[in-house]
Amino acid sequence: MAGKVILLALRTALAWTFVHAGALKIWDFAHAQPATPDFVVAIQQYRLLPSPDLAVLIAVYLPWVEIFAALGLLVRRVQLGAAFTIAGLTTIFMAALASAWSRGLRIECGCFGRDQISTDIPALLLRDACILVAALILLFLDSRAAAVKDRPIFGASGRFTLP
Amino acid sequence: MIARALRQTALLLALALLPAIVSGVVQLRWDDAEPLAAGEVRAATVREWGAKVQWVDARPRDKFAAGHIDGALLLNEDEWSKLVPAFLDAWDPDLPVVVYCEGGSCEASHAVARRLREELKIGNVHVLKGGLTAWPVK
Repeated sequence: MAGKVILLALRTALAWTFVHAGALKIWDFAHAQPATPDFVVAIQQYRLLPSPDLAVLIAVYLPWVEIFAALGLLVRRVQLGAAFTIAGLTTIFMAALASAWSRGLRIECGCFGRDQISTDIPALLLRDACILVAALILLFLDSRAAAVKDRPIFGASGRFTLP
Repeated sequence: MIARALRQTALLLALALLPAIVSGVVQLRWDDAEPLAAGEVRAATVREWGAKVQWVDARPRDKFAAGHIDGALLLNEDEWSKLVPAFLDAWDPDLPVVVYCEGGSCEASHAVARRLREELKIGNVHVLKGGLTAWPVK
């Protein structure tokens, strides 16, 4: 029972983090205006993309992927894919941050729009590592649950087996 | 198991596509629909001027060093008195001055434009609406 509560808390916390991050990249609540222009600039500062147009496409699409993946964590039918997506996104974010750090760039993360501006890349990497661990825990548990669900109630021998 | 995870991921990515398109269209039209604040100029207007303007970058020095619009002069509030002489040396009075900063919500360009008008008595000063987002650095 306690395990289920902890798991639900972990799922909800991760979902809230990503809904929050996605929403702040779409709308600047402090200035009541779209946040996409600021996110385009934040992406460009990483200097990883060959074209500014690609930065615009990512700035428009990525926040919605974050929101849908976050909501997916709470929907049983897509929980596995949602955890997979969040783990994948976090890995990409960490790679981008590590790349900026290795090139000595002092840039704003862009992770939560202009709400939480930080240029402390090691701290951001640590935070993302915690998020990645949480996503991997959910991915592991959800894949195990899916495997149990997939297991036939009649084994290869034709005998009834408990899942 | 991996196939199921990928299938669900594809579904989530597809679901995110529609609101992203709608949001993108709305946000791209937002700047055109929004009235200009005092002293602001749209990127389209600057292009109509044939981009013959004196760009002023109002961001901090490290961001200017990381990339700026071609021909832009660095002039920010933090180093105002240090940078003004260099700006005055390079400034062409025949060109309109267009100040920019980071993106849609940054205030630095407005502050620098105000000081150019009030302290240096330069009349033809504008702020680029949308900042660098409206004129991406290639």
